[in-house]
Amino acid sequence: MKTFSIGGIHPPESKLTASKAVEKMPVPSEIVVSMSQHLGKPAKPLVKVGDEVKKGQRIGEADGFISAHIHASTSGKVKSVKSVPHPGGNYSLSVTITTDGEDTWAEGLNTAPIDWKGLSKESIIEKIKDAGIVGMGGAGFPSSVKLSPPPDKTIDTIILNGAECEPFLTADHRVMVESAVEVIKGLEIITSLFAGKAKPYIGIEANKPDAIEAMSKAAKGTGIEIVTLETKYPQGAEKQLINAITGRTIEEGQLPFDKGCLVHNIGTAVAIYDAVCCNRPLVERVLTVSGMEITSARNIRAVIGTRFSDIAAFCGDMTEKTNQVITGGPMMGRSQFTLEVPITKTTSGILFINNAGLENSRERTCIRCGKCIDACPQSLEPWLLGNEAQFRRFDEAEIYGLANCTECGSCTFVCPSKRELVHWIKYAKALVNNRKQRKTA
Amino acid sequence: MEPVKLKVSYAPFVRSKDSIESVMYNVALALLPATAMSVYYFGIPALLVTITAIAASVGFEWLTDKIRKKPDSCLDGSAFVTGLLLALNVPSGLPLWMVVVGAFVAIVVTKHLFGGLGYNIFNPALVARVFLLISFPVAMTSWTVPFSVDMQTAASPLGILKTDGMAALSSFSYMDALLGKTGGSLGETSVLALLIGAAWLFYKRYITVSIPLSFIGSTLVFTGIFYLIDPTTYASPLFHFLTGGLVLGAFFMATDMVTSPLSLRGQLLFGIGCGLLTAVIRLWGGYPEGVSFAILIMNSLVPLLDKWDLDEIKAKKQQSLTTA
Amino acid sequence: MISEAFIPAVTSLGSLALTLGIIIYFVSKKFYVEEDPMVTIINGILPGVNCGACAYPSCNQFAEELVRTKDTSMTCPVGGPDLAAKLGESLGIEMAEPKPITCSVICQGNSENARQSAEYVGIQDCWAAMQAFAGPKQCRYSCLGLGSCIAWCDFNAMRIENGLIVIDKDLCTGCGACVPACPTGVLVMQEKKAERIFIACNSHDRGADTKRACDAGCTACQKCVKVCPEEAIVIENFVARIIQEKCTACGKCLEVCPSKVNCIVLKKDMIKSKQVS
Repeated sequence: MKTFSIGGIHPPESKLTASKAVEKMPVPSEIVVSMSQHLGKPAKPLVKVGDEVKKGQRIGEADGFISAHIHASTSGKVKSVKSVPHPGGNYSLSVTITTDGEDTWAEGLNTAPIDWKGLSKESIIEKIKDAGIVGMGGAGFPSSVKLSPPPDKTIDTIILNGAECEPFLTADHRVMVESAVEVIKGLEIITSLFAGKAKPYIGIEANKPDAIEAMSKAAKGTGIEIVTLETKYPQGAEKQLINAITGRTIEEGQLPFDKGCLVHNIGTAVAIYDAVCCNRPLVERVLTVSGMEITSARNIRAVIGTRFSDIAAFCGDMTEKTNQVITGGPMMGRSQFTLEVPITKTTSGILFINNAGLENSRERTCIRCGKCIDACPQSLEPWLLGNEAQFRRFDEAEIYGLANCTECGSCTFVCPSKRELVHWIKYAKALVNNRKQRKTA
Repeated sequence: MEPVKLKVSYAPFVRSKDSIESVMYNVALALLPATAMSVYYFGIPALLVTITAIAASVGFEWLTDKIRKKPDSCLDGSAFVTGLLLALNVPSGLPLWMVVVGAFVAIVVTKHLFGGLGYNIFNPALVARVFLLISFPVAMTSWTVPFSVDMQTAASPLGILKTDGMAALSSFSYMDALLGKTGGSLGETSVLALLIGAAWLFYKRYITVSIPLSFIGSTLVFTGIFYLIDPTTYASPLFHFLTGGLVLGAFFMATDMVTSPLSLRGQLLFGIGCGLLTAVIRLWGGYPEGVSFAILIMNSLVPLLDKWDLDEIKAKKQQSLTTA
Repeated sequence: MISEAFIPAVTSLGSLALTLGIIIYFVSKKFYVEEDPMVTIINGILPGVNCGACAYPSCNQFAEELVRTKDTSMTCPVGGPDLAAKLGESLGIEMAEPKPITCSVICQGNSENARQSAEYVGIQDCWAAMQAFAGPKQCRYSCLGLGSCIAWCDFNAMRIENGLIVIDKDLCTGCGACVPACPTGVLVMQEKKAERIFIACNSHDRGADTKRACDAGCTACQKCVKVCPEEAIVIENFVARIIQEKCTACGKCLEVCPSKVNCIVLKKDMIKSKQVS
C-alpha cells in the first residue's frame, strides 16, 4: 500500500455517513449564490434586483484570468445583490434568489448525454470554463486554468483525488460508489486533453473498500490505475498525494505541473463529465452533513446557494449542545459565525459539533516533545514557526519555511501543550502579506 | 432567528488526547514499579522521602506560580514528576529538610528562574541531586542497606569499586543488582523495575529509543573496552549497567523532553555524549557515579545541537534563494 | 613574608593595567569619530523614544538631519510646540510650530452598542481572529476589541475597555505607530483640533445592515448632510465625513442624527476652549 513519505497523523476517522446513499435535498424557497466561490477574483454579477433567472443561467461573469463564471442554481427571481456572510468566514457579494419551485433549466442546457470523443480539445476546455467548474475539494482553483498548463510543461501524470482523508467527510466516497461511471468518464475527458501522453490514476484510501471495488470495476479496460493508499492524514493534500502515488516531491514555490502532475478532485471529474457531455453547468454538489450534534447525519445533493440553516432543518436540526458549525473537514475546515451562510462549489461538508475543548482551552508553553516535527508532512519545525510568530519575528519565520506550510493542521492536532500552531502560522502569513502590501503601496 | 450561539475558533477542530498532564502522569506511572520496589526494600523512610519530595515540589510550583502571577500549573504533573525523580535520586535515610531544599533548588532555581516548564535548560531533579551531593556529601552517600531495621548504611557497589577496587567486589551478585538488593538511592536499585516502567513509556510512545540506547550503548562499549584491556582493574560492562543510576538516568532523566535535543541526529549525539562522560567519570573521576553530571553537561549542549539543525535549514533556504 | 606574596602580584597586575591603558589610549585616538556636539545637544532635547512619527527611524537620525539641514519645517509631533521652541532656541532658528496630532478611534462599537455575531475562542489578537472569520462583532468594519495595536504603542496610551479600544489622549503623542497594526482601520491620525467633532463610524455597510449591527453606526441617512449650514458633511461609501476646514462645530448635525448613540462625536469642552482662545 502506498502513502506519502514524511509525517502524517491518524485522527479518529468518524466517517458516520460512509454507508448512507446520497439524498437529493429539495430546493429551498430562497438561495444565496456567492460571487466568490473560487480562488482568484470574484465574478462580476450580471443580474440586478427583480430579474427573472432560469436554472443554469449565467449570473456572474468571470473577472480576469483566474476567476470563474457563476450560474443560477435554480429558477426564480433576484431578490438582492449585496454583500452577505460567506462560509469562508468573511463577507462576499452574493445574488439572493427567491426560487419559484419550477426548477426550469435555461434553454440549451441539461441535454441528453453526447459522446465527447468527437469534441476538440479547445471546445472541451471552453465548455468546462462556461460551466464555471472549479476544484471542488476545497481550494476552488478554476479547472479550465488548471487544464491548460503552460506549453513548456509536460504533464505525464493525472491523479484523481479520492483519498478523502479528512475525518467525517464521505461525499467523495459516496460519489465514487454511486457514480463510478461518470467519475471514470470525467477522468477520461481530462486525460484526452493531454493526447494520451499522461497516465491516469485514482488514489483511494484503504478505508473505503467499496469505493475501490466500484472504481476498479468501472475502470476496467480504460487504462486507469486505481491506487490503494494507506489511511493517513493529510493524504488528500495535493503535494502529499503526488508524493504517495509518484514518489515525486513538490519543492517550495513549485506547482504540481512543475513535476508533470495534475490533481483533480472526484467531484470535479463528475462536474466535468456533466459539463462536457450534458451541458450542465456546476449548480449542485454532493456534500456530507455530519457531526455528533446533527440529528440525522447524511450525504446530500444540494443546489449551490442553499443556506446552512435550510440544510440543518432538512437533516432534522442540530441539538442544543452544538457550539460549532464547520464547513469542510474538522482538520482544515472553517468555523462559521452564522447559519445564514450558503454552500458554495467548494463546500465538501458541514459538521455540527460540540467542541468541548473550547471551554477551557489555554495554550501552554512548548515542552519540546518534538511531536509536531514528526507529524509535519512538509518537514518543517512547526513549534519554531509558532514561537517566531508569537514573538513577531516574521523574518525568521520566513527563513524557517513559513511559506512552505500547507496548513494541514497535523501539528496542532498532536501538540500536547495545545498550542495553536497552525493559527500562529496563519497569523504570521497574514502579517507578512500585510507588510509586503504596505511596502509596495 | 438563531437560538444557538456559535463559537468560532481556528482549525483543526479535533485534537489528540495527549496533553502535558497525560505525558507527565504517564511518566509518573512508569516510575511506580521502581518506587514500589524502593519502599519494599527501604521501608517507611523511603515512602516518607518520596511523599515529602513530591509535596514540596508541587508546593513550590504553586507558590512560584502565585509569585510570578502565572496560571496555576502545580497540578499539571511536571512538578509531581520532578519531585518523584528527586526522591528516586536520593538515599532513603536523607533528612527530610534536605529533601525540601532539593525540591526548592529543582522547582524554583532550575525551572522557574529560567522561565518555567519548557524553558529550563537543565533537568530540575538532576540539578537538585547534584546540589545536594555537593552540599551534603555525607548524607547523600549514606546508602541504607536494603531490609535493614536500624538504618544501617553501606557504600554502593560503585562506591566500593571507587574506594577499594575490584577485589572488594568479590561478593557482588548480578542478580541482586538486577532486583535492587544493593545499596543506593531509591531509584537506582532495581534495574528490572525501571525497565518495566520504561517499556510502558515506549508503548505509549512518550520516549523514543534513540537517547536511552545510545546512552547505555556508549557506556557499555567504553567500559567494555577497558574491561577487555584489564579485567582486574576495570569492572565489566554488565556491572556498570546494573549499578548506579545508569538505567534511571538513561530512560527517565536524559529523555526529558524539555532538556533533550529535537532531531534524531541530536538525540544520538546527546546520548553518546552522556554515555562517554558517564564512563569517564566512573572510571577516572572523583565521584563514584557520573550519570547526573554527564546528563547535566550534555543538557548544556542541547541548544547548540538544536541550533545545528536550524542553521542547516537556514543555509538551505539561503542557497535556494541564491539559485532562484 | 608579605613582600614575597605581594610584590609579584602588584607588579604583574600593575604592569598589565598600564599596558592595556596605553593601548586603549592609542586606539581611542586612532579611531576617534568626529561628531557634531550639536547633535548630542539636540538628541538630549528630543524625547528619545524612537517612535518614528517624524518619518526618521530614530531620534538620533532626526537630530543629525536637523543639525545638517537646519530645516525649520522639520517637526517632532511627540514633543509639540514646547519642544519646537527649545529646538529653535538651541539652533538659533525659528522652528515651525507642529500641528498637534492625535489618534482617534472611528468606532464606538463597544459591547453595549455593537451586537455580537459569534464568540471567538483562540489567539487573542485581532489579526489572528481575522484569519478565522470577520470578527466577533456583527459589523465587520468595527474595532475587533482584541488589542493588536496596544503592543505597538510606545506610550502606554491604549487599552481595551468594554470590547473597544480606548486612547488616553494625554498620553497619545500622535506618532501613528498603531495605525498599520489595525486590520479594520478604525485608528486614524488627525489633528487634535479635529477631535472636537468627527464621525466615529467606519461601517461601509448599507444603512439597514449598519443599524442592525450597531446602535452607534452611521446609516448614511443624509440628515446631517442636509442640515449642515456650511455644507461641511459629505457621505462617502455609506459613511459620513466631516470636512474639517468648513466645519464650525455648530452641533446642528448632532440634533438630527437618528442613531441611538450618535455616530457624531462632539466634544463641547474642546469647542469652548477654542472660543476662549
